[in-house]
Amino acid sequence: MTTLAGVALVLGAVLAGLVVVLLLAVAVEHLQRTRSQARDAHRRAELMPTVHALLDDDEDDPAGAATDPRVVSAPRLLDDLVLDLLPQLRGEDRRALQRVLVARGVVDRAATDLTARASWRRGRAATLLGSAAGADRTPALAALLADRSADVRGAAARALGKAGDPAAVTPLLTALTGARALPLGIVGMALLDLGTPVLPALRTALTDGSPAAQALAAEVLGVQGDPQATSGLLALVPGHRLPTEVRQAAATALGRIGSPRATAALTGLLTAGHLPVLQRAAAEALGRIGDPAGISALVSGLHVLDPGVRAACADALAAIGEEGRGRLRVLAIGTSPASRAALSALDAVATARQWRRPVVSR
Amino acid sequence: MTHVLVVDDDPIITDLVTFRLTRLGLTVSAESDGEAGLAAARQLRPDLVVLDWMMPRMNGLEVCRALRADPDADLARTPVLLLTAKAQEPDLERGFAAGASDFVTKPFSTRELVSRVTAALPPGSVPA
Repeated sequence: MTTLAGVALVLGAVLAGLVVVLLLAVAVEHLQRTRSQARDAHRRAELMPTVHALLDDDEDDPAGAATDPRVVSAPRLLDDLVLDLLPQLRGEDRRALQRVLVARGVVDRAATDLTARASWRRGRAATLLGSAAGADRTPALAALLADRSADVRGAAARALGKAGDPAAVTPLLTALTGARALPLGIVGMALLDLGTPVLPALRTALTDGSPAAQALAAEVLGVQGDPQATSGLLALVPGHRLPTEVRQAAATALGRIGSPRATAALTGLLTAGHLPVLQRAAAEALGRIGDPAGISALVSGLHVLDPGVRAACADALAAIGEEGRGRLRVLAIGTSPASRAALSALDAVATARQWRRPVVSR
Repeated sequence: MTHVLVVDDDPIITDLVTFRLTRLGLTVSAESDGEAGLAAARQLRPDLVVLDWMMPRMNGLEVCRALRADPDADLARTPVLLLTAKAQEPDLERGFAAGASDFVTKPFSTRELVSRVTAALPPGSVPA
């Protein structure tokens, strides 16, 4: 055997040995992880009767279970179990679990962590408080909306939405502006999470808020279908000094609310030669409202230059009912842009009907 | 004895629902995925199925449709209560179109769940 062959043999053996060691290490790690998960699952299963006891009916002493010495002295895994379960439950079940976290000091520890140096600790604490805390933590969470970390600001906004205190509306809407402004989507989701109790505050924001707050308030009021917001939204539609996005959001919201009280304002927005984005919003809203009084304005909208506006007007006419579709059938004869838009809307209606037709098996 | 089958891939939820319904005096079986849930329904012929929507292997709607299409007329009529985080209007439409009898939306209240289970079962099925 030459020296070269001997070296190659030794190197091969070393490599094979390394591969075997690596495989063994992976196998040991996998085994340890599987055992750890099994142990964790077993310990969680052991704690489930404690959770059941916590959720048990005791109308005379709802706080009693949370302060039971067995609960207070249970291992920390109980906190994880309760925190996993909390987002899945609501009502008295949720309140019972929140009391446990308060009694075990989890909420106080999280409140302390809101000022931690590490941003991940602040964010985690905010998330936990959103699930577990009551209205008393709203000011502390609201303060985090101006945190130096964008992640923490987002976590605080989401937490305020989950915590359910209507007082969070003002700080959330204020956080839409400034050097550390929060994205619209995060604040919007938080406002939707807060639900219908915040509608009065959102109606106030239509007049008192910044343009960004006005637009978002209008959008959320529309999604929630709040009929009491109609007057406030109607006041925004013709506001020539207002930013376009506010007027657009107001028009869209009026369409979602669906009150025919808005028809006149929306037809005015459509026909007075405003920006195409506003005309489209007005046409879509008129289609949603379905008031035949909007037909004339929509027909005239079919003749504007912007193809998006023409398409929106045609779709709206198709949505208004037989009267609107009748006008479209007349307009569809010809080759003008208006005719093409009308024909396209009628085709869309026909296709939708075809899809809705039940399949008959032979 | 009235028998309820609970199908959910989250063991904490399965455990909680099982505990609540057992305390009500019902016999409860549990499965952790749609395929096993459908097999259990065919074998156990429960009086009611509490079904999660988003599950591995076979989702809740597929299980629901399979139950409604079962050649066994009794099984095909079994009330199905969907326990799901999907609560938008189109979701409700899809759920009812698939044959669901009722919905409980997550986050849920165990008290509401008990009330809906009681309402979905024939009178006298739940011990007083």
